[in-house]
Formats: sequence, C-alpha cells, structure tokens
Amino acid sequence: MKKITDDDLTLLYYGEHDDPSLAARVAGSDELSARFEALGEELARMEVLTPPERGDDYGAEVWRRIAPRLAEERTSSGWGWLTRLRAPRFSLAGAFSITLVFAVAFFLGREGALTGPAPVGTDSAQAAVLNDLDPAQLLATSVSRHLEQLNVTFTQFANSPDLSNGMADRAMDMLLANRLYRQAAESRGDRKLATFLGDLEPLLIELAHEAYKNSPATQNRMQQELKDSLLFRIRVMNKQLTDSQIST
Amino acid sequence: MKNSSQKTIRKAAAGDRLAFRELVLDNSHAMFRLAWRMTCDEAAAEDIVQEAFIKAWRSIGDFRMEASFRSWLHRITVNTAMDYLRKQSRRKQLEVEEPQWERVSQASEPARADVQIDIRTQTQAALLKLSEMERAALMLRHFEGHSIDEIASTLNLSANACKQTVFRAVKKMRIELQPLVAT
Repeated sequence: MKKITDDDLTLLYYGEHDDPSLAARVAGSDELSARFEALGEELARMEVLTPPERGDDYGAEVWRRIAPRLAEERTSSGWGWLTRLRAPRFSLAGAFSITLVFAVAFFLGREGALTGPAPVGTDSAQAAVLNDLDPAQLLATSVSRHLEQLNVTFTQFANSPDLSNGMADRAMDMLLANRLYRQAAESRGDRKLATFLGDLEPLLIELAHEAYKNSPATQNRMQQELKDSLLFRIRVMNKQLTDSQIST
Repeated sequence: MKNSSQKTIRKAAAGDRLAFRELVLDNSHAMFRLAWRMTCDEAAAEDIVQEAFIKAWRSIGDFRMEASFRSWLHRITVNTAMDYLRKQSRRKQLEVEEPQWERVSQASEPARADVQIDIRTQTQAALLKLSEMERAALMLRHFEGHSIDEIASTLNLSANACKQTVFRAVKKMRIELQPLVAT
C-alpha cells in the first residue's frame, strides 16, 4: 500500500485528493488521524490573518479615486476615442509650439528628472536663448502663456454650443504641453504648480477625446466644472505667475 | 465577492463606465482582502486594489465571458500584488518584526490580548517569509477556495507545479506555525 505523505494530507485537507478512499484510510488509522489533525490545527492558525475592515462605502471610495484615471485608460478596441488616443492627432498649427514646449520642458527639467539628449527640433539658437534664462522665470513665463491659451479654449468651450471647430485638436496639443510643464514643475520641486496642472488634465483628456460628443450630460458636466471652478483657478494661477515674473 | 451579472460585465466590456462602476462596488471589498493577505499592508492593499481595477478596465474588453469573472479579477489583483511585492524589500521589515517572537517567549504572564496580537504578527511574519508565488498560491487555496487548476491558471503554472508550490507553502507555514498551536 502506498505510503501516505503530508502532501497527500494537504490535498485531502483542501478537498483536492483524487483518491476517494484516502479519507476512509485516514479515519481508520490513529497515526494518520493525528497527523491530519495536526495539519488542520496548524493551518487553522492562519485564520488570525483577518484583514482590516473596510466601511460599506469602500467600493464607492475606490471608484471615486479611480474614475478620473479611467478616462485616459483604454479598454476594448471598439472605443473610437480611445483608438484615437493611440495615434494622437496634432494640429499643424500646434506643431511648432509643441516643439518649443518640448525644448522649454527639456531645459527646465535637465537639473531634475527630465534628462537626456536635447529634443529633436531644438535648434542651437533656441538652445542658446533658453540657456540664458533663469529656469524659474522660464517656467513661470511658459506656463503663464500656456494658461492664457487654456483660458481662451476653455472659455470658448464653456460658452459655445458649437464645438465642431478643431477644439479636440487644440486640446490634444494643450494636453501634451500641460503634461510636459507638469513634469518640469515636478522636477523643479514646484509641487503646487505641478498639482494645479495635474488637476487640469482630466478635463483636457475629455476635451481632446471628444468625450462630450453625443453626450449632452457629459458636455454639461464639463462646462459646469469649468464655470464653477477651473476657469477661476486658471485665472488666479496665471495672475500669480505673472506677479512672480514682475517681482523678479 | 458578489457575483456580478453577465449583463453588467458585458456592458462594462463594451465601455460602459457606469457598469464598470457597479463591478467596482461589488468587488472592492474582496479584492482588498486578497491584496491585504498578499501584502499584510493596509495602504499597499488599497493601492493594489485601485491599480488592479485600472488594469481590469484596460483589459475587460478582452475578458472571455465563459470564464469566471471572479477568478479573472483575482488574477489581476494577485499579479498586481506580486509586482508590488517584487518592488518592495520586505526582508528588512521582517528583520524588524522578528524580535517580537522573543517578546512572547520572554514575557512571564502576557495578557491574552497581547498574545493574540503577537500570534497575528508572527503569522504575518511567517506568511511574508514565503515567496510571492507560494504566498499567492496558498492565499488563493486557503482563503479564496480556488481549485489547484484555477490557481495554476491564475499564476500561469502547470497544475503539477502549482500543487508543488502549495505543498512548499504549507510545509513552510507549518514549521512557523507549529510553536503557536500550543499557545
């Protein structure tokens, strides 16, 4: 008769043993019963591993935290706006400014995390000009200009019923610029500015991917969000950045 | 973990955020418990749950409706937890926690509550000594009631390799837990 190992008893304990006679053999033997009982007692000790309780609203809390991120994540290939996310569109008009933003972000970030070779499209004259500027001032000036553009586009979106005027393309350019400025602010340790720019991203993502299209409810929510707080915050931040430039 | 309806899963797979929200509400508690048992760390478990749902959202379009949604979510949670664990240097924490073994044995007449807390700490320490794979296999078998075949699929192992992983985990845990049985 085959010797019964502890592995056999483990499988029996978890109801996974494929020999139906094993349970009877264990029950009929004092030695096997004692071993099986010891195994059970030792594994039962794991029951003290009770996770900390979560409240009834834990699921809602998880949702609240992840919902903004879902907008920029992909799922099935059938989602039109997400397919476009894989092949971002850039308006021709935005191409030059994006190159400049790359250049600015590169120079701002080179003391921090954004290190590497100079971005393609940065000519030596541009590099020389950027090199002569104070990084803090350069960041403030660049972000201030970026916020002015955001203010115009967002105001237009918040007030206009007609949204078929290249809004998405502009928003995509601004989203990319916003991310680069946020990274530059992070790498320079300006957490307040980085957080502020991060707060703008969810709406820019929705705008860039036309989440408002065919959804009046989404459009209303986005417009309301702008009117309620974002436009005001953009103007306040822009004022602070402009004031900081004047004082330096 | 509640049994999320096929209809809700289908809708979420088609990109319905409200349906996905329902899945999040239904499954967050169970995913937290699993993530906590994998890490024994409350904050990490919360992060893992969120990250796992983001991953689930990314790939729910590829979910095969004939498969078990619960197992699918467990797989994502376990893989996310294993990624987390790999990034963490848990050994240092264990070295800090281990002296508490001595505290129990040296205490003359410890209060019952203290003993319970120490048993819990020691059991956690024992669990954290397992490899990530052993821990995942044991947690899925012992607490989640997954079959060996399901665990093998979750951990991308053959059934036999999975069985051996569970055996190793049980043996290691028994060695660690034996002294506690008499407590």
